[in-house]
Amino acid sequence: MKHSISIFWRLKDNHYKIYVTKCGDCGRVAPLKRLKCPYCGSRNVEHIESRGFGELINYTVSYYRTEGSEQYLPRVVGLVKLDEGPVIIGEITDVDLNELSIGTRVEAVLRKYSSEDPNGLIYYGLKFIPVIKK
Amino acid sequence: MTSSRFRVGIVGWGAYIPVYRIKAKEIARQWGFDDRVTDSIWIEEKAVAGADEDTVTMGWYAARSALLRAGVNPGDIGAVFVGTESKPYAVKPSSTIIADALGISAKKLSTDLEFACRAGSEGIRISVSLVESGAVRYGLAIGSDTAQANPGDVLELTASSGAAAYLVGPADESVAVFESLVTYVTDTPDFWRRDGSRYPAHGEGFTGEPAYFHHIVSAVKMLMNESGLKPSDFDYAVFHQPNGKFPLQVGRMLGFPREKVLPGIVTPWIGNTYNASALLGLAKILENSKPGQRILVAPFGSGAGADAISVLVTDKVLERVGKAPTVEELIARKKYISYAEYAKFRNLIHRNLW
Ligand SMILES: [Zn+2]
Repeated sequence: MKHSISIFWRLKDNHYKIYVTKCGDCGRVAPLKRLKCPYCGSRNVEHIESRGFGELINYTVSYYRTEGSEQYLPRVVGLVKLDEGPVIIGEITDVDLNELSIGTRVEAVLRKYSSEDPNGLIYYGLKFIPVIKK
Repeated sequence: MTSSRFRVGIVGWGAYIPVYRIKAKEIARQWGFDDRVTDSIWIEEKAVAGADEDTVTMGWYAARSALLRAGVNPGDIGAVFVGTESKPYAVKPSSTIIADALGISAKKLSTDLEFACRAGSEGIRISVSLVESGAVRYGLAIGSDTAQANPGDVLELTASSGAAAYLVGPADESVAVFESLVTYVTDTPDFWRRDGSRYPAHGEGFTGEPAYFHHIVSAVKMLMNESGLKPSDFDYAVFHQPNGKFPLQVGRMLGFPREKVLPGIVTPWIGNTYNASALLGLAKILENSKPGQRILVAPFGSGAGADAISVLVTDKVLERVGKAPTVEELIARKKYISYAEYAKFRNLIHRNLW
């Protein structure tokens, strides 16, 4: 499986930023940019850029090879509860498998998702690392 | 504090050092070098970018920290420059990827600059001129490198990865104001990498005296002559750091006592981060400086050239240090890796996939 240049480019803003949707009626916060609040159905919503900080609440380790990202294996796929409230899926990088622990504070950083070496495109997007500034 | 004669300054700064370190003595052992080689140039360990890191991702982190410290609207940034000698693409700017990922407006100047290790400081000089002329409100200058070295070359002991970023803007918003800036460049065959070549080469006998020392000494003396400042007027002096030894040596040649040079030295613990080298030293000084102090920073790039820049710290520095990771925090955050892991991360191992 390769990334599609056109699909990736159209969704660029969602690879470079984390957005959440805050409801003006029930006050709850949902992941991603949404037109309607998934909890109460209200259209009175606001899109907010997450600061990118949160807590690792669970994870799994993937050995699945995708074209252009073989050198990053194995990959840790985590569930991150953002400080803004919602839980999102994200790759956790810069960690050893034996030191991974639930409850770790993480921050979003720009990294390579895949790289079609040596002639293709490099796909960048956000992953998570343990916070640098404790 | 900020005199009206200074119009441009550093509004925000940021640093990035990858988490991985390899001991210089492990590299020395790999190739059968004598242990004394690492001691003679003062290198303990170097920072290694992870497999999913490059000049763009490290530059992004440093630039984001600069924006967090500055607290400015990314839409007001009118120029983004990336100084690097390790562009991920030979053709396709790194600066536009970083700018888009930071939400900086499309209405801007944006390019990658190449001048070995001093392209990042040229980015600062261009940004200062753009702000001074009123063409832009803020200019972002980034120095970022995943420095390459031929495995087994003595450069491999020091060539490392890291990034630094400076947001240049109006003096009255700045943590430090630019007092004086000069640059001294010539054609010198000390170090180069041909297009398509994986690793750089160096001209034996040219790297020290005719390149590093001649250009830095010339640039700093030019700054002293033009500004009337003396070494005793400076609280700190930061030089480009290909290793730990050269900056102390050039400081001595220029009359700076060791205690004014040591605080800005970072290379013995992270290696030579090329375009980030002197700029990370400056960041470390800023993070520990007091309002009213004067800092000399003199980056050098092979080919060759050096800048000499004098900045005066303002009282705004104190409130901005804690808004992003400091150089000392980044140096302290580390995980040691073996030569084999280093070779994997830096793509030195070639294997057939599928
Ligand atoms: Zn709702």
